[in-house]
Amino acid sequence: MTPVRTIAAAMLVLASSLFVAPAGAATERTTGALPRGGSYVMLADPTVASAAVGLWFRAPGAGYDNATPGLSNLAATAAAVAPLASGKSLYTLVHSAGGDLTIEVYADIVGIGAVVPASAVRRVVAAMTAAYFAPSVDDGAVRTARANAAVLGVQQRYDPDATLHDLLFKQIFAGGPARYPPLPTSVSDLTSITTPQVADFAKRAFRSANAVLTLAGNVDGSSLSAVTDGSGPGNMDAPIDSTLAPSPASATASGAIDGLGLAWVGPPIGDQKAATALDFVADYLFRDRTGLVTRSLDRAGSASLVTGQFVTLHDPGVMLVTIGGGRAKQAEQSVLDALALLAQPMDAHAFEAAREAFLYHVASDTQTPQQQADNLGWYAVEGAPDYAPGIVNGAYVQAARSLDPEYVAQIVRRYLQKPIVVDLIALTPQKGSSTP
Amino acid sequence: MTLARLLSAALVCTVGALPLVSPGAEMSVPSPSLQNDGGIPIVSQADASAALVGVVLVLHAGLDRQSLRDNGLAALAAQTILRTPVKQGEGPAIPLEDAVAARGGSIRFTVDPDDVRFYVEALAGNASAVAALFQSALTAPDFSPATVRSAREALGRRIAQNQQVALQVGLDMLKAASSTQANAGLPELGTTTSLAQLVPSDVRTFYATYYRRGGALVSAAGNLDALAPGTLAALAAALPAGETSAVHVHVPPLAGTTREIVTHRDISSPWLIAQYPGPSVNSRDFGPMLVLAAFVRRTLSDIAQVPGVVSPTFASRSVGAVYDYDRAPASLLLYVNGGLIGDPSRAFATALSVVNVLAATRLQGSIEDFKAEAAGDFAGSATTLETRAWLAAVFARQSASPDFVNRGLAAIAATTPDDVQRVARTYLGNPTIALVLPRGTNLQD
Repeated sequence: MTPVRTIAAAMLVLASSLFVAPAGAATERTTGALPRGGSYVMLADPTVASAAVGLWFRAPGAGYDNATPGLSNLAATAAAVAPLASGKSLYTLVHSAGGDLTIEVYADIVGIGAVVPASAVRRVVAAMTAAYFAPSVDDGAVRTARANAAVLGVQQRYDPDATLHDLLFKQIFAGGPARYPPLPTSVSDLTSITTPQVADFAKRAFRSANAVLTLAGNVDGSSLSAVTDGSGPGNMDAPIDSTLAPSPASATASGAIDGLGLAWVGPPIGDQKAATALDFVADYLFRDRTGLVTRSLDRAGSASLVTGQFVTLHDPGVMLVTIGGGRAKQAEQSVLDALALLAQPMDAHAFEAAREAFLYHVASDTQTPQQQADNLGWYAVEGAPDYAPGIVNGAYVQAARSLDPEYVAQIVRRYLQKPIVVDLIALTPQKGSSTP
Repeated sequence: MTLARLLSAALVCTVGALPLVSPGAEMSVPSPSLQNDGGIPIVSQADASAALVGVVLVLHAGLDRQSLRDNGLAALAAQTILRTPVKQGEGPAIPLEDAVAARGGSIRFTVDPDDVRFYVEALAGNASAVAALFQSALTAPDFSPATVRSAREALGRRIAQNQQVALQVGLDMLKAASSTQANAGLPELGTTTSLAQLVPSDVRTFYATYYRRGGALVSAAGNLDALAPGTLAALAAALPAGETSAVHVHVPPLAGTTREIVTHRDISSPWLIAQYPGPSVNSRDFGPMLVLAAFVRRTLSDIAQVPGVVSPTFASRSVGAVYDYDRAPASLLLYVNGGLIGDPSRAFATALSVVNVLAATRLQGSIEDFKAEAAGDFAGSATTLETRAWLAAVFARQSASPDFVNRGLAAIAATTPDDVQRVARTYLGNPTIALVLPRGTNLQD
């Protein structure tokens, strides 16, 4: 499923032309080409009053030479805060329309999202495509982006999930963008990036041919006519994969907080059934409140906070489990014990109930416009647009329904054996944490 | 920058950047339908392409049906229904909430001052079966000692979790302080001590007395075509007929010279919460209060934000304002999370000052930005089936029209600066303040 790591967002101002969203059209997914390059995916739902607009790109986090950690982050933010022809930035415009702007930067992709009242969709589509398809990055925008990234970088030190995600990817991958954190931990990494570097990167990565526009919620075909910029026809870049380490090793790292992370290399997105099986495993074991491990730790009064997800990537995906909150070693053992049990086929009735619960969770987690737009964008740029969760009776649901106990056990045995482990140790001992 | 200059700047900067038409005014979504089936109002928001069906059932069996001695009884009755064993297929009977989960759904309840509301959601293909499971437990709960004990334990776990959430602790105190009926201000789930006093016969009696058809309302959203005919009406119709009355437990309002309530919990940082009264959704002040809340929320966030940073940060998230209009009595809440900001007392004092200035100073400049923000918040707050079904129920009960989206957006669009000024003066007077502090600290800290 789609990982969520919001690294940017909200503020205010303006408005201009108006759009009347027609009501009554049936919810359906439509796809096609944008008028000036790129493609779109739209999931219309006229029964809600808001809409989500997204732009997704294949873009290497550390630059095309994998030598500039943070470059993609700075470019994505700078394009959002740079003034457009109207004098207002995308960031300002979205907020003036009553919406929120999010900028998601991952190792291999960038996702820009806005959730706005439906009446503002055309304005936001126009501004977002202008900001990214024809970026006008200047020194001021880069300064803002740099300051933004520096603050977020400091904050991330206190987020065990994000910190461990980056540390685990560093262990798993020997080369390529996944080896580098999308948000550099060193301020000097940010200050050494120049405005021309950012502008060149933005121009290359954010060209319309390399983009997928996603629209969800109270939108319709007329929203697309607001796209007025673009670099013209062309091909999207190939998916950006990273090179696996031949013998990935576990590690210990120091940081601002304690935590423990486990990772396993999983299947590519192209193996949809296997990827869905690992989503099922994550849901069954680690979902908040209902997961087997989660409930077990709750009942035991454990201080540990365990999260688990399969990060669906082009090739390969990665299963991640992060543990924070103390007593990490005990929680780790609970995780490993639970996985060992799943290596054998589940009881048929228990499996059927768990699969129905999983299908429900998928539907429940993809019901808002933002959730739908994010999933459509993520799966499109990772290379499997039809497989996005949230498409009613789509490929994802079909893959989930095809799962059976034997297959899930086989996938667990194949992919979830010995994990790569990162032990994150706080430089300053934390109160009440990490006692095994 | 002084507070006055900051406010002035915030107001003046919007002039010259006006939308041509008020936000939200030109957009509409299909209105929910309201039918009366055998005396039971049924609100429907159908979307044939949705993957899910969500149903809210509202019953007059909330806090105000308890006596003070019965603190927690409304929650215990609702939780007993969720723990009631139900049978499906050949397998053994299992608690309703587990059976619903196994059929691809979820069920939960909320205890409000005058209602209890159940929310059940399921995959469309399973929705009729899940509704039938709910109906079977609702109409014939198991009051055996084992089930009631299981329900009590489940509530105990939720209470323990809530006690770790400083905002929840503070809100509970403020609700108790602002309630005109003492029982309606009791903690929604009771306390572990009060629950320990309640026995199965108490639960049985409460259920028999208050789980009645009278005053019930059903609100559903999603793929309603997937439901078997009559499913929604049957939920409430299966209960006995009859109206019930609240238990009146009047207490005089707090008479102290201070309006501060202080408590300590096992938390790592202080929380500061201020509560002002707010208008209900059928008031002419509803739209202006939505705009006012948007203004306060944004202003507080801007004050707390790290200068020059555009992404949400710990600091910008450390403060907030919530117009709690779906609960009676409605209120406007301001809060500061001391764990995310360096000087929570200063931030809180600033927040209160902002509100005071609003109430005392004539607004200048445009409010269109704040109307846009209010419209965005309002539209964005109703995108899940649960919130849509619930808000339609709130509007249907309080104003006879369930069309919450279009009415809310129209109320925002029609708001003038004078309206905002009037509402600020009417409601933003002397707040009640809750301080939730870590153990071992005091106000001076």
